[in-house]
Amino acid sequence: MIFLKQISWIIITAVTLIACSQESTAPANAPANEVAAVESFAAGPPDLSGIWQVMNTASWNLEGHTASKMPVTTVLGAFGGIPAGMSVIEGGEIPYLPDALEQRDRNRADWNNLDPVAKCYIPGVPRSTYMPWPFQILQTETEIFIAYEFGSNSRSIFMNRPGTQAPLPSWMGYSLGSWEGDTLVVDVTSQMSDTWLDASGNYHGPNLVVEERYTLIDDNHIQYEATIDDPDVYSRPWTISMPLYRRIEDGARLLEYKCVEFGEDLLYDHLRREYDGPKALDGSIQEDV
Amino acid sequence: MKRVASFFISIAVLVVSGTVNADVPITKWGKPSLQGNWDFRTVTPFQRPASFADKEFLTPEEVEEFEAAVVAGRAARATVEFDGEYDQQDLDVGYNQFYLDQGTTMTTTMRTSQLIFPENGRMPSMTDRGRETAQYFRALQRRSPQGPEDRNLYDRCILGFNAGPPMRSGAYNNIMKLVQTEGHVAIMVEMVNDHRIIPTDGGGDDLPEDMRLWKGDSKGYWDGDTFVVSTKNFTHLSRFSGTGETMVLTERFTRLDENRLEYEWTVEDLEMFEDKFTAVVEMQLTEDDVYEYACHEANYAMPLMLSGARKQEAQGIEDDTWLPSWSR
Repeated sequence: MIFLKQISWIIITAVTLIACSQESTAPANAPANEVAAVESFAAGPPDLSGIWQVMNTASWNLEGHTASKMPVTTVLGAFGGIPAGMSVIEGGEIPYLPDALEQRDRNRADWNNLDPVAKCYIPGVPRSTYMPWPFQILQTETEIFIAYEFGSNSRSIFMNRPGTQAPLPSWMGYSLGSWEGDTLVVDVTSQMSDTWLDASGNYHGPNLVVEERYTLIDDNHIQYEATIDDPDVYSRPWTISMPLYRRIEDGARLLEYKCVEFGEDLLYDHLRREYDGPKALDGSIQEDV
Repeated sequence: MKRVASFFISIAVLVVSGTVNADVPITKWGKPSLQGNWDFRTVTPFQRPASFADKEFLTPEEVEEFEAAVVAGRAARATVEFDGEYDQQDLDVGYNQFYLDQGTTMTTTMRTSQLIFPENGRMPSMTDRGRETAQYFRALQRRSPQGPEDRNLYDRCILGFNAGPPMRSGAYNNIMKLVQTEGHVAIMVEMVNDHRIIPTDGGGDDLPEDMRLWKGDSKGYWDGDTFVVSTKNFTHLSRFSGTGETMVLTERFTRLDENRLEYEWTVEDLEMFEDKFTAVVEMQLTEDDVYEYACHEANYAMPLMLSGARKQEAQGIEDDTWLPSWSR
């Protein structure tokens, strides 16, 4: 089926190229997604532009996990649970070195106080990809810009700077992109060691190197892979894989999730005037807290 | 000198052709390219100083004099001997010249102010409602903060002090990135690393009245060679120079040549101000990168302020001097 579709693209592209000298021209009555595909086929690499989102629970735990409760069920009830999910890791588990595994377990034991994302800190790469908020890709020849709804964060993938290095570490790191056939390959380096990989204490060190691979497998799906390497923490490089789904509904757009105002409660509540303990959503205080 | 020559060449081209400068890069889809990193530092005053009175433009010589005076003033402040005394402003600002990056040149409009409307280059009067609201927020920020919500959105790293919208030259981080596709333009300002993703097709239906965004809801369209962005649905806390949630912002981006982007914006909020106001600057293309400004991640000031406030309370100290000197 995919093969037949590719042939039809080739035919459409050939006709388009013959009829027009402008590569951005496409059949006027073609659906938007097909237009994008035809344009990209004529121009070179696929166009990944659009709004994308995962449909999994990797942000809670990259490894397979059953449902569990967060320490907020006294105020949130059934909303306060972590949903179950299958592992997105090739081989199922993260190959931690023994000492690093102990650190992961310590992280996990106090994750809601320690997880940087709970404080609304920048999630880094690859975690930003599988946060349960949409993100938008704007693709140009020299730079691919990814805008994330979570925290209004963003990153630039530079397509014209091979071999360069970041002048300093950052939360999102330094991303250099290239095309391997129809796959966008992004090497991400110079990430701060402060980020985690999920909400289960899975983490990395300062020598993290991530290779991301974005492959448009049809109009509305990207197969996303990230190979994660840090010899201080893992016994070997390991890979996660998941589909990204295009948000196709009318009016799909990024909104704001400026999480600072939510993270402030975790960070500063104890410094408020007349602080009297955690509060329910309606401001009342639970007797058993 | 190069800038002056560029100015006159641009004027000449516009007069002769009446169309966009031939030096303007064009996208594959036929629109002027806006993409790049843009430096919007300027020493051009936002409002016209009284000394310029009715003078709208400066001569090249007057521009050089003004810029030299700004640079000399900074140098004098940087080399002043510390006499052991300090005042509140020293504590409020907390920066010396090393950290400030306000530029050394006037914007190439050669105007005496960024504001071009009202025609006197001064902000319009506030309405009674505008004054009352401003007083409320001043009182909130004057008192010892009861929680982070008492502080302004810049202290909380929710908005950038120069990132608007609209963008306006400030103390530092006066740089923004534009990324442009046929369907969208992304604006990302270094200050707090915030982004707006603006559709170029008009943007469809308006957001409902009760959906309010910190940066408002932006929609764009092309008016000839100018990209026009209309933004509304701001929160009542967004408050650009004292505006409220009825603020409507119109921004016009026009690529003038290879290196300059004209940025003109108009704010209309007749609930808070008696009239609209409009400013224009010409941003400069730069090879500099836009860096990650992880404001919230490194916001050591907020817990220190709150800790200090609690300590004052424990000692029975009432302190109403928390308003920064530049807001008084």
